[in-house]
Amino acid sequence: MVTMDNNLNKLPVQTKQVKRKRKRRDYENVTGYVFIMPFLIGFFALTIFPMLMSLYLSFTKYDLLGTPQWVGLGNFKRMFFEDETYWQAMKVTVFYVLTAVPFRLAFALFVALLLANVIRFSGLYRTLMYLPSIIGGSVAVAVMWRQLFGNDGAINAILEALNLPTTSWLGNPNTAIWTLILLYGWQFGSAMLIFLAGLKNIPVSYYEAASVDGANAWQRFIKITIPLLTPIILFNVVMQMINGFMTFTSSFIITEGGPLNSTLLYILYMYRRGFVFFDMGYASAMAWVLLLIIAVLTALIFKSSKHWVHYESGGDR
Amino acid sequence: MKWKKATLVFLAAILLLTAVACSGGNTNSGAGGDSGTNAGGQPSDQKPEQITLRVAWWGGQERHDRTLEVIKRYEELNPHVKIEAEFSSYNGYWEKMAAQAAGNNLPDVINQNFGEYLTQYTQRGLLYDLTEFTKNGLIDVSDVDQSVLDSGTLDGKLVGISLGTNAYAAMYDPALFQQAGAEEPKLGWTWDDVDQRVKKVAEVADYGVDNLESNRVFEIYLRQHGYRLFNDDGTGLGYDDDQLMADFLKMKLDWVESGAAPTLDIANQHTSLEDSLIVHGKVGLMFAWSNQLVSLSKAANRPLKIAPMPGPNEDKGMYLKPSMFFSISNNSKHKEEAAKFINFFTNDVEANKILKAERGVPISAKVREAIKPELDEATQQTFDFIEAITPHTSPIDKNHPVTAAEILKLIDEIDEKVLYKQITPEEGAKEFRKKAEAVLKR
Repeated sequence: MVTMDNNLNKLPVQTKQVKRKRKRRDYENVTGYVFIMPFLIGFFALTIFPMLMSLYLSFTKYDLLGTPQWVGLGNFKRMFFEDETYWQAMKVTVFYVLTAVPFRLAFALFVALLLANVIRFSGLYRTLMYLPSIIGGSVAVAVMWRQLFGNDGAINAILEALNLPTTSWLGNPNTAIWTLILLYGWQFGSAMLIFLAGLKNIPVSYYEAASVDGANAWQRFIKITIPLLTPIILFNVVMQMINGFMTFTSSFIITEGGPLNSTLLYILYMYRRGFVFFDMGYASAMAWVLLLIIAVLTALIFKSSKHWVHYESGGDR
Repeated sequence: MKWKKATLVFLAAILLLTAVACSGGNTNSGAGGDSGTNAGGQPSDQKPEQITLRVAWWGGQERHDRTLEVIKRYEELNPHVKIEAEFSSYNGYWEKMAAQAAGNNLPDVINQNFGEYLTQYTQRGLLYDLTEFTKNGLIDVSDVDQSVLDSGTLDGKLVGISLGTNAYAAMYDPALFQQAGAEEPKLGWTWDDVDQRVKKVAEVADYGVDNLESNRVFEIYLRQHGYRLFNDDGTGLGYDDDQLMADFLKMKLDWVESGAAPTLDIANQHTSLEDSLIVHGKVGLMFAWSNQLVSLSKAANRPLKIAPMPGPNEDKGMYLKPSMFFSISNNSKHKEEAAKFINFFTNDVEANKILKAERGVPISAKVREAIKPELDEATQQTFDFIEAITPHTSPIDKNHPVTAAEILKLIDEIDEKVLYKQITPEEGAKEFRKKAEAVLKR
């Protein structure tokens, strides 16, 4: 290894050597860039450029067919001070995220714990448990969910058979959002698999040592499993929170934001403003506000993680 | 190091090849368009150049099947033309069009809808003025009523050829009305009559009347009382007295409370036409576009009848609406061929025999006469209906502003709030005015 000593650079012989090494390193760098070029092109063309375009559009009035007219902060002013529906969407989405995400995570952890000790057919169970989330985001599942909870749907049929009271799940503004939360929780597969991986990483010897010391199952769970899972929990919380804010398909298909806008999720309202009312500038503004909100929340979660996440290596973040 | 270099070049080459191959995937399958056997029909054009025409429309499966058959016939008669059909359901059609418009890539022939869409697309200069084609006869409109052409004219330009005439109407189940001992709807009946009769029908069926589409019916209601939904330049509402909306909503609320109409949560379970409550025999009356009688009757599998909207002043309330238009996009490179296609669609009797007036009553009198005997009962009814009410209609309101979609959605929202008893009809009317005026002033 050649140490970059300024004096050495001045000597003609050393310079030549350093130059030759730099060429090789540059050459290797170029190779690297060429290989990631497809990704870079896609990234800039399909991600960065649209994002910047959208940022520009959020300060304009634009209906997709004409040219954008600059309105400065007009869209934001309208959003925060004059749009009741916007705050309704915000309210609904925050409630949804605060309910559905913990629900999904708890469910995922529960199932992961069950599956952690299963040896026979474990692959089969894992696949079955993961299935809902593969087909989950799709329109077909949303349509099926709509049938399930419809007035003449399966859920009501079962309730009737058991002589229990039935209700209009989708027509009642108080219950409609819960059908969406339920659907979100049902798609716990990916979170569950990640928990499972985390669980498998905990050395069995810890549990053995604990039970030798007389710890029962609950104490083992609280003192060993949870602390050692906290990095995974952090990851899942952040990912699922972001996911939760971006929910669209279920509310679009199942309830169309109704009844009485009780299931008007943020992205659905943004879609409606952009593609139904052709208010693209406003929709772009909504998108950026959401980005900021998610960014702030993520930062807060990370900041708080110092206090509750234990890394086995003892390293800090 | 030489080996590394070779691998690098090889990989780069493969990368380029795949990129090229992928982009070249949209090869025009045009070359083999000749059907060879040109069995009779029109003499094929002298133009040897192959033309690919893109035609876009919305609709259900029935319409798609019929339209594709018509397209096949056109291709057989015009072997140098290959038509790329781009169809979808109504839901999502405008989003698709907007995206294509932004890319200056609209299909040659596109479906257009009367109202804010036609206004918007015309204002943006996206549609071609078809006047030259009607003048030189490429689009033969000799059998078409002038009012139909007027409905497709905006800012002095003929931007769309109507594909069928429609009117908003009452659909009812004569059997249920008879069973209930209620008089059947007919021209000259009033909203009070509706009120009485649906309450009678509600005694023999689940309900009397299906939930009214407020964003359609309220406009008719306003027109009956001498007002409009929007003012002349679309910057405000066309009526001043909120009592009008309050009365309308009160009527709906009363029906729900008395059991004459279903609650919203039930009504919203049956949003698709073939799944309507009237099809299931649960209501005796509903209001819909005249051309929807065909699908309803088919789904119900029993005779349903059509009647005019209730009055008073139904003449002022009712209007003939072009069900939809075919327009030619300004960026089309084959405007003449597109015009020929539209002409074929409008005037060819065989084509219309295939279409069977599914988009509404054909605008050409000659076509109407020719195909009527071959149609089923329900469609013939719509023909008779349109003919019967034409003298009892007023011109359609052309002043829908670009933000009309938002206003119509507002009507739905207020309607919902009132029917869910969150606010009273009077409060609803006031809230609607406040919010609508804010939108219209933007």
